[in-house]
Amino acid sequence: MKLSAQSKAFAVLLSAGLFAGCSSTGETQDDGAYGSDVAAIDQEGGSTVYGGDDQDGVSSSAMTEEERMAAQQQAEQEALRDITVFYFDFDTAEIKPEARDVLVAHAQFLANNPGQQVRLEGHADERGTKEYNLALGERRANAVQRFLIVNGASRGQMETISYGEEKPAVMGSSESDWAQNRRVELVFE
Amino acid sequence: MIGHEREVTSTGVPPWKSPVALSLILHLVIAGVALAGWTWSSPEHEPPPRSISARLVTQQQPEPSPIETLDDQPDRDEERRLEEQKRKAEQERKEEARKLAEQKAREEAERKAQEQEQERKRQLAEKRKREEAAKAKEAARQKAEAEAKERERQKAEAEKKRKEEQRKAEAEAEQKRKEEQRKREEAERKKREEEARKEAERKRQEAERRLKEKQLEALAEEASEAKQAEARRQAQAAAAKAREAQMLTESEKYQALIRERLSQAWYPPSSATEEMTARLQITLLPTGELAGVKLVSSSGNTAFDNSALSAVRSLSRYPIPDKRDTFERYFRQFTIEFNPRRLK
Amino acid sequence: MLLRKLVTVLTLVLVTAGTVRAELLIRITEGADAAIPIAVVPFAEAGNIPAGDKLSTVVQSDLAMSGEFSPLPAEKMLSLPSKREDVFFRDWRLLGQRYVLVGELTRKGDRVSARYELFDVNTEERLLGETAAAPASNLRSLAHHVSDKVYEAITGVPGAFSTKLAYVTLDTFKGKPRYRLQVSDVDGKRARIRLESQEPILSPAWSPDGKKLAYVSFETGKPVIFIHELASGKRTKAADFPGLNSAPAWSEDGRSLLMTLSKDGNAEIYRMDLATKKLTKITNHWAIDTEASWDHTGDGLFFTSDRSGGPQIYYKESERASPRRITFGSRYNARPRPDNSGKFVYYVHQRDRAFHIARTNLKSGEETILTRTESDESPSVSPNGRMLIYATKQGADSVLTVISADGGAAYSLPASEGDVREPAWGPLVR
Repeated sequence: MKLSAQSKAFAVLLSAGLFAGCSSTGETQDDGAYGSDVAAIDQEGGSTVYGGDDQDGVSSSAMTEEERMAAQQQAEQEALRDITVFYFDFDTAEIKPEARDVLVAHAQFLANNPGQQVRLEGHADERGTKEYNLALGERRANAVQRFLIVNGASRGQMETISYGEEKPAVMGSSESDWAQNRRVELVFE
Repeated sequence: MIGHEREVTSTGVPPWKSPVALSLILHLVIAGVALAGWTWSSPEHEPPPRSISARLVTQQQPEPSPIETLDDQPDRDEERRLEEQKRKAEQERKEEARKLAEQKAREEAERKAQEQEQERKRQLAEKRKREEAAKAKEAARQKAEAEAKERERQKAEAEKKRKEEQRKAEAEAEQKRKEEQRKREEAERKKREEEARKEAERKRQEAERRLKEKQLEALAEEASEAKQAEARRQAQAAAAKAREAQMLTESEKYQALIRERLSQAWYPPSSATEEMTARLQITLLPTGELAGVKLVSSSGNTAFDNSALSAVRSLSRYPIPDKRDTFERYFRQFTIEFNPRRLK
Repeated sequence: MLLRKLVTVLTLVLVTAGTVRAELLIRITEGADAAIPIAVVPFAEAGNIPAGDKLSTVVQSDLAMSGEFSPLPAEKMLSLPSKREDVFFRDWRLLGQRYVLVGELTRKGDRVSARYELFDVNTEERLLGETAAAPASNLRSLAHHVSDKVYEAITGVPGAFSTKLAYVTLDTFKGKPRYRLQVSDVDGKRARIRLESQEPILSPAWSPDGKKLAYVSFETGKPVIFIHELASGKRTKAADFPGLNSAPAWSEDGRSLLMTLSKDGNAEIYRMDLATKKLTKITNHWAIDTEASWDHTGDGLFFTSDRSGGPQIYYKESERASPRRITFGSRYNARPRPDNSGKFVYYVHQRDRAFHIARTNLKSGEETILTRTESDESPSVSPNGRMLIYATKQGADSVLTVISADGGAAYSLPASEGDVREPAWGPLVR
């Protein structure tokens, strides 16, 4: 994977955000105090990580002042929304920089169409254990869900499910096969 | 430089030992000696006590006695009696005359006595005057004399002081010299002592070395003797030893063979642990065949004990040495211990 | 008195011998690095014995599967004795055999009775002499029973050949995936399909009595934990919360299930009381916590967590104890399965780019990689702790392989149709 300076910066931001989220909440509330603070952590982590992306989405729409521009933008957005599969690195749930614009477009679409439902299907490659991969797939789906929420979609429009390694996109055991199987699919209903 | 040295040394030693104190004591001693020897060593320096002796003479000389004149009177009785009568008559007449004369003399004497008294008074006054003058003169003289004497004394004193100082300087110099001498001597003494000590040490070491040498020689000799004895013993035991070694080598060889065969034949059961040990006593026939086996120490695990027994029994013939004595010594009867060390 | 004299004389002899040392002692600290040769002689048969695999063949196969035995093929046998009088130990010794099993099957009504004896060829001692009976239709069960007995007599460890396996197969049927939950003998024979679905079936787990299976099924479109009574086929949803419902593991008393739920947003381990459905949260961490399994004491549990960055094995002495990390050997260690002795924990271990099954000695912390295959998953330990079954890739498909727990000889189960995965070794049922 080639990293542009921008994506590197993003990665740094992302990891810094994740780190902040972890360090502020991770150690202190380990097992013992039974509660539902896990979701809160995830959201906090997400908001820390993706805080910058909010502006990104807003500014891009604010830029379109002329209708022609708006139309062009919309066409571009629609083209972007053709992409519904997002890929991940091994044992991670980090949204890749190149997926951000597309996901922002999806979020905008969902925001503009509150009646639209989408199912986020998380997957893992065949490596590792099935149960861990099930949790990993869910983590990926959750990561996408958070990103979409942060960018305008509402939680009620979305449903997440993990299939773990059970439903590979492609059969095979090569690096490229695995890369295609580590994914979150957006299924619009 | 020297003063500096003294200063340094004076700070480093106890006060009674300091050169200052020493020199003080020495000075006192020297001064004492000098004073003691003064009378004989320098009598000419004593101031002349003339005025004193003169006064003493005038005051203490006894005056001449009047009794001296009565000692020559003649004593003749008859003559003395006639003489006496005659003399008596004469005397009475004379007495008359004398009384007249006497009165006249008395008057004269009185007049003379008055004159004498006046004269005496005059003389006395004169004498007093003279005496006073003499006295004044004497006082002046005495004063002058005293002054001279004082001057003399002072002079003598100064001289004495000078001499004293000279003596002192000389004494100091002497003392310094002596001190230095003492130091030199001390240093010399120390040097000598050190040398002596070194020498003694050298001698001691030398003696020690010699002793050691002797001991080493003795040891070497002993060792050599022991060596020779050992060599002799070894030489003597050579044949036996060789036999022994051969047997041992042979024994070890066959032990290793047996170990290898048994290791291959033993299947430790899966319940075996590294804590399990089974001991079996083996009796062999000279052919290498198993004559008997006895479990002398159980592992506590039947499967384990069985596996050991089975292993021991699995060898149809034990590898044993051809030499009968080696066999008898080592392999007629021996113990095999099964104790897994590297379980999978 | 005479005896004492004799002793004295002997002592004197020993003393005068002088050079006579303490009796020679040879220490054997290593055994043969080979399977134990055993001759399982085909049993004599009296009466109408059902056709099919011979009992001796099943026993041979069982013993071979353990990796600890090397059965002698029948055609190499010089004689086929069925009782002691006919056993010529010398012959079996010559054949290099350590043990010989002989026996006889007798049909009595609809039952078959087996009388069998196990001998040590070297000591010529009888280690086993028993009879056992089973329905004529269940000759395999009888065979597995004999295997168990033979195994225990020789190794000192109960056999686990009468236990069952549960696993999931995947193939394609009419263009659609077909997941099937199956239960078979440990040798993969007598497999019976218990559930069939177009959606994934995962993580079968045996109840301690061997009568039920808990598993994850996607049949409703999402992962749900079911409990399946094998005898009746009755199924109940044990957990159907939002998010994940996965990784079921039974408690020793069969009354509760450990499971992974993400109903609160993140994968955590819970214990569910099956009678009351009451949940107790056992982990609470932003990381993934899953794949829990009780240890042999029933108080402590092992689980997978990526709280350190990647998945690693953790152990809690009790539900409320602080988790202690067990694995450090690589970046990926997951799905712990402790044995019944508390000595080892088995798990999936990534080394370089390959996934192996490894085990850690819990006392020493020493880690051993047990498999040479490279895409290994789902280790499951036999209830006697001597064998391990896991899934691995063979070409495109997954197959099940049994190895001895120390990583010895591997025995691939005869592949049924398609892909076989998620093996779960059932309990010893007496």
